[in-house]
Amino acid sequence: MANLNTDAIKSRTFDAIVIGSGMSGGWAAKELTGKGLKTLVLERGREVKHVVDYPTAQLHPWELPNRGQMRYGVNEANPVVSKCYAFGEATEQFFVKDAEHPYVQEKPFDWIRGYQTGGKSLLWARQTQRWSAFDFEGPARDGFAVDWPIRYDDLAPWYSYVEKFAGISGNRDGLPQLPDGEFLPPHEMNCVEQYFSESMAKAYGGARPIIIGRCAHITKPEPIHLEQGRSRCAQRTLCERGCPLGGYFSSNASTLPWAAKTGKMTLRPHSVVHSIIYDEKKQKAVGVRVIDSNTKEMEEYFAKIIFVNAAALNTNLILLNSTSNRFPNGLGNDSGLLGKFVAFHNYRAGINAEYEGYLDKTTEGKRPNSAYIPRFRNLLKQETDFLRGYAAGFGAYRGQSDNRSGWGEDLKTGILKPKLDDHWGVGSHMMGETIPKESNYVALDKDQRDPWGIPQLRISVDYDENDVKMTKDFFEQMTEMYTKAGFKNIRTYDSNRTPGLDIHEMGGVRMGRDPKTSLLNGWNQLHQCKNVFVTDGACMTSTSTQNPSLTYMAFTARAADYAVSELKKKNL
Amino acid sequence: MNRRQIVKGMAATVGGMLVLPAWASAWNTASLQGFQSKLSLADQALLAEIVEAIIPETDTPGAKKLEVHRFVDKIITDCYDQKSRTAYLKGLSAVETMATQSYSKPYASCTPKQRLEVLTTMSKSADADDQNFIRIARSLTIRGYLSSEYVMTKLMGYEMAPGRYYGCVPVKS
Repeated sequence: MANLNTDAIKSRTFDAIVIGSGMSGGWAAKELTGKGLKTLVLERGREVKHVVDYPTAQLHPWELPNRGQMRYGVNEANPVVSKCYAFGEATEQFFVKDAEHPYVQEKPFDWIRGYQTGGKSLLWARQTQRWSAFDFEGPARDGFAVDWPIRYDDLAPWYSYVEKFAGISGNRDGLPQLPDGEFLPPHEMNCVEQYFSESMAKAYGGARPIIIGRCAHITKPEPIHLEQGRSRCAQRTLCERGCPLGGYFSSNASTLPWAAKTGKMTLRPHSVVHSIIYDEKKQKAVGVRVIDSNTKEMEEYFAKIIFVNAAALNTNLILLNSTSNRFPNGLGNDSGLLGKFVAFHNYRAGINAEYEGYLDKTTEGKRPNSAYIPRFRNLLKQETDFLRGYAAGFGAYRGQSDNRSGWGEDLKTGILKPKLDDHWGVGSHMMGETIPKESNYVALDKDQRDPWGIPQLRISVDYDENDVKMTKDFFEQMTEMYTKAGFKNIRTYDSNRTPGLDIHEMGGVRMGRDPKTSLLNGWNQLHQCKNVFVTDGACMTSTSTQNPSLTYMAFTARAADYAVSELKKKNL
Repeated sequence: MNRRQIVKGMAATVGGMLVLPAWASAWNTASLQGFQSKLSLADQALLAEIVEAIIPETDTPGAKKLEVHRFVDKIITDCYDQKSRTAYLKGLSAVETMATQSYSKPYASCTPKQRLEVLTTMSKSADADDQNFIRIARSLTIRGYLSSEYVMTKLMGYEMAPGRYYGCVPVKS
């Protein structure tokens, strides 16, 4: 029996455990296996294999069961995920069912989750802007949160490293507030986007650049992409169904198969992590407790290092639930700050208008991207009555309308011969930085448990006065810019959307220099449990305005490199 | 990027599409196959004549030939609540009643002009249910027609994978 036990433990012992197989977990898997570590990747959802598990990817509109309309009752039964712009008949398989994964909304919070191999990397918006020196200096300059323990230069080589592998399309714009990366050829801005860019360059002397977005699409494959089995993006813009070409970056198309190829990865789906096991004698983490979501049996797995990449809020949940005599309030939580200082991006505002120029021009084809306005507010110094600022997406399009007024043959002619509109439509949406606050937090609910017996996450996150002022400023500044550009019929909207729907929730396990005021050090290690690394959105000290996934990828590759070198030095 | 480069890139894309594994084509089953209507055969035939009146055959197929009635039926069955489904059945019988009252014959025996007349009259009816039925039938017919394989591929230049985006092309006159 003793032998059997030893064997069982041996079979459940790895060099490294990665919790989560999404955007950052996939990177941890790739980096750790690439450095020779026998790695267990735990995924709480089902397995989704690249291409074969994308059932709708090749369907034409007339082949979708209801041609894009959701079956009655689905949206009603899923009031949270059905709010997501990417949720629909062709993509619902990549979202959780609300009722199966309960959580407590102390304040309204739309928690959008994709529980499967690859997580939300199948569903993301694929915008990949680097952070800049200004962003990492933000909290120190403006006196909020805590100082980031690293600066842009620490991360820059790792941005390059992940960009080359992931495949990032972009233009080298030479902007200090949005550093250039290792770019594949950019998408094209259309005439009106180009016009807006040029007229704003004149109007603001270069202080408000408008550029083509940088995005994780292979516009021209390099050998490294072909080696991954990926090919040029076909500009289908059906990305959220999963891309059979691997035209955009996802864990499924890129990092996970790469890790699997090493022969060092064991991917275990249906594995809900209950907690991390802390060994009081060794004074470090020794493994994780996993509940098999099918059998509901608990099993333990062991490793020298643990990467927590469960997605920002679930990473908080796991650490909060990892209690021991040494850490009664959650792993590494002597400061009591675990779960606090959660922040997100303010996506509630937008502004639309029309432009009556370039009427002899239109666009042709499809583009999985749009133009982008990097942050210009409070960039070099504080200049408003609110902290920080916003970036904005921007897009122009030549719409067309058909004539549906008739009946019979008139109607047929009317709908088969749509006419170009007598204007271009333009639109922009705000991506505002929110300020992390202690009062925006997540915690374990004392009473309610999920179907696996784990305490439900209680979420208490809201906007504040800074967000309201910033939203107002976005309207004012963008209205001014639109007016200067000669755009007409300017309409602003404030959707008042619930936090969470931005799907950019961050923090709770923030990085910092001081264990008293932060959970992680500059290498994404828990200050007080050095063999546990957190490199997903939970690690974020502040949010800046950029879409965050690229930064998580860079953090992960950097931390994995450090972790392995520390292992070799026997420091972990 | 100039045009020639883009065209070259497209060729590469097409090449990429061709090497998709065999199962990819096995997915190509029309969405309406396998749909079992809950309507009586008479009502199914009636609905086919209604969508055909809204979008008739000319030198190209009309809504009936493109099975738009089956699309309308499926959407109402799968995507609408019970109340709307009941109203839909009621609307179908209202069409038949109106045809009998106006022309003393079943809807299917009316001339194309008379069939349209029944629908346009109902669309302006004082009865909100009649109006609503026609509004839904009309908009679903248009949607089913425009999203049919024939119209998308033969008439509207549908491309699933354009492989290109040109931001500034002259409007074709």
